[in-house]
Amino acid sequence: MNAQAPIRPEAPAPVGLLAELTHRCPLRCPYCSNPLELDRRSGELDTATWQRVLREAAGLGVLHVHLSGGEPTARNDIVEITKTCADLGLYSNLITSGVGGALDKLQALYDVGLDHVQLSVQGVDAANAEKIGGLKNAQPQKMTFAAKVVELGLPLTLNSVIHRGNIHEVAGFIDLAVKMGAKRLEVAHTQYYGWAYVNRAALMPNKAQVDESIRIVEAARERLKGQLVIDLVVPDYYAKYPKACAGGWGRKLMNVTPQGKVLPCHAAETIPGLEFWHVTDHSLGEIWRDSPAFTAYRGTDWMQEPCRSCDRREKDWGGCRCQALALAGDAAATDPACSLSPLHAKVRALAVEEAAETPPDYVYRTIGSNIRSPLKEGASS
Amino acid sequence: MNAIFPTPDAAESERLLTGDEMEAALRDIGARRYHILHPFHRLLHDGELSKDQVRAWALNRYYYQAMIPVKDSAVLARMHDAELRRIWRQRIVDHDGDGPGDGGIERWLKLAEGVGFQRDYVLSTNGILSATKFAVEAYVHFVSERSLLEAIASSLTEMFSPTIISERVAGMLKNYDFITKETLAYFDKRLTQAPRDADFALDYVKKHATTPELQRQAMAALTFKCNVLWVQLDALYFAYVAPGMIPPDAWQPGVGLVAGADAPKAEAGPRKTAPGDTPRLPRGVRLRNDETRGKYVLLAPERTFDLDDNAVAVLKLVDGSRTVSQIADELGTVYAADPRAIEADICVMLDGLAEKRVLER
Repeated sequence: MNAQAPIRPEAPAPVGLLAELTHRCPLRCPYCSNPLELDRRSGELDTATWQRVLREAAGLGVLHVHLSGGEPTARNDIVEITKTCADLGLYSNLITSGVGGALDKLQALYDVGLDHVQLSVQGVDAANAEKIGGLKNAQPQKMTFAAKVVELGLPLTLNSVIHRGNIHEVAGFIDLAVKMGAKRLEVAHTQYYGWAYVNRAALMPNKAQVDESIRIVEAARERLKGQLVIDLVVPDYYAKYPKACAGGWGRKLMNVTPQGKVLPCHAAETIPGLEFWHVTDHSLGEIWRDSPAFTAYRGTDWMQEPCRSCDRREKDWGGCRCQALALAGDAAATDPACSLSPLHAKVRALAVEEAAETPPDYVYRTIGSNIRSPLKEGASS
Repeated sequence: MNAIFPTPDAAESERLLTGDEMEAALRDIGARRYHILHPFHRLLHDGELSKDQVRAWALNRYYYQAMIPVKDSAVLARMHDAELRRIWRQRIVDHDGDGPGDGGIERWLKLAEGVGFQRDYVLSTNGILSATKFAVEAYVHFVSERSLLEAIASSLTEMFSPTIISERVAGMLKNYDFITKETLAYFDKRLTQAPRDADFALDYVKKHATTPELQRQAMAALTFKCNVLWVQLDALYFAYVAPGMIPPDAWQPGVGLVAGADAPKAEAGPRKTAPGDTPRLPRGVRLRNDETRGKYVLLAPERTFDLDDNAVAVLKLVDGSRTVSQIADELGTVYAADPRAIEADICVMLDGLAEKRVLER
C-alpha cells in the first residue's frame, strides 16, 4: 500500500509533555537541566500558542503535562495555562522552585485544577541549600510553599538532586519529606548534562557516598511504606546499565522549549546537526512523527554494536544520546554509562578521579553567560 | 595536686568536717567518679549503641540487680537495732517484691526481655562477664567485712542516681526504637525509692562518722562503690564496644534470645483495607479513559498506572461514599459472583494502591 513511503519505526503515542514555559528562574543551580544558552523572555511563546500546543498534545494522547522551566510561575499566564490543561483532561504537574511568585499563585492554580506539585529542594541545611541554589533566603520560602501545598490538599513531591554538596543529607531529605507531609520524594542523583556537565567536578560524589545514599533510601522505603514513596535515580557513571533516556528517544516524551522548539529530551540541542522543528511552524503531531530530530534515534535502526545485537536494546534504547556524544564523541554510540560500552571503564575512572579531587567552585547558571559548552568542544576535537 | 577524690590532706585530715562539709565531700566523689561519666553510659544514653550492645548492658546489669538484696541482707545481718533493720529491710522488699512478679529484679527481667532475651537465660546468669561478677561480689564482701558505717556509706551512690535515671530513660526512649516505656518501668520506681534510701543513709553517715578517721572511711567506702559501678562499664566497653574482646564464656550476640528478637517489626507500612472502609482517590489521582490507547488509566503524580478490567470496574465505583462492602455487593450483582470473595480481592488491590499513596481510606 504505502510501498514508496520511507520505512521508519512507527511513532508510539506520546504520554508526556515537558513544557519549559520559561528559562527565567530565581535559582541558579549548578546542575540545571536547561541549556547553557538560555532563552530570553522576549522570545517566549505567548499564551495562545501554549494553549494550542496543549490541545494538540491532548489530541496526540499525552496524559501528563509537566509545567516546568526555569520557574514556571515566573510566567504571568501560568494559571491560564494550567486551566487549559485541566479543561483538556491533561494531568498538570507544576515543577517549581517554590520561590519568587510561586506562593502567591498557588491558590489560583489549585482553584483551576492543578493536579500535583513537585517542589525542588537543594539541601536540608538552609545555608547549604541556599549555597547550591545560589539564592539567599530561598529555604524558608520553600518551606512555607510546601506547607501551603499540603494545606490545600494537593499532592506534594519533593525533588532533591543529589551531588557531593548534599549527598550527606539524603537521610535529612527523607525526614524533611515526611515532616512536610510530602507523598513522594525523588532522590535523583545528578545527571551530567548541560550545566551539570560544566560543574561535574564540583558535583560528582564518590562511589562509597553513592552506595551509602542508596542504602539509606532502601531502608527508608521499607520503613516508610505507605507513608512516603521514594523514587531513586542512581548516577549513570556508577551504573551497570544506562537509563532509557526519556523512556526511549521519541517514544514517550517531548520537550517544548520557551521559544517553541520541540526536543526529544531537554538536552538534545547539545547534539550538533540535529534539526529541531518549532511549534510555530508545524503542528505538534507533525513534529512528533516526522521532524528529523525525533526520527534520528527513534527505534533501534540507528544503533551500532554493542547495542544493535543486545537483548536490552528495547529496554534502555541505548541509553542517553547526549551522554554518548559527550563521552564517546558520537551520539549514535552506546551510552558509555553502560557496562557493555568499551568506554565504560574510562568513564567510571573519570568519575572516581573527579570525586577524589577537591571540588572546584560552582559555575552558577545565568541567562546570557558566555560559558562554552564542553560538549561541543569535545565533539569537535 | 588534686586527688581523685578529696581526701583531706595530711593536716586537713586531722580536722573533723562539719555535717555540711561531709555531705559536700561525698557529693564531690560522685561528681568525679559516678558511672554517669563513663563513656559507655554516654553511648547508651545518646543512642550510639547497637541493639546487641544494649543487650550486653541489660544482661550484665541484671547480675548487679539480682545481688543487691544479697548485699542488703548482709548489711541487715550486721544491724543490732530493730528500728534500723525495719528501715533497711525496705530495700530488700523493693528489690524482691512482696510476691512473684513484683519488685525491682522482676522489672529488670522485664527490661532484659524487652530487649529480646529469654527470661531463663538471664536467670541462669550464664554469659555474665566475669568482671561483672568479680565487681558485684567484691561489693557483697565489702559490706560483710567492713564496718556498718562503711557498708551504709557505700550505698550512697543512690544520691546520684536520680540524675542518671532520668537521663537514661529519656535518652533510651528517644534513641532506641526497641525500647519502650514499659521496658524501662524499673527506673520509674527507682526515681522515688533511691532518694528516700539515700536520705536515710546520708543522715546515718553524717551522724555516725564522728571522727576524721571515720569520715575518711566513709568517703573511701563511697569511692569503692563508685569503682564497683565503673569497672562494670569498663568491662562492657572492652568486650562489646572496643576493642570488642568478648571473653570465651561471656554472652555472644545472638545467644539466649527469643525467636524473632531481631526480626524487623512486623506489619510495617499502611494498615490493611477493611470491608467497612470508604476508599477514595485523593486530589492528584484520577481515573481517566485514555481514548488514544483505548483503555482506562489511573493518573497519579508523575506516573500512570495501567489497570486491568477488574481494577477499572472497582475504581469506577470508588467515589468516597461507597464502602468496600458496597462496591463488592454491586460488582457481585453485575458479575453474578460471591460479593465476599470479590471483597477480599478488592481489599488486596486497594492495599496495593494505598501503599503507593494513590488511594486513601
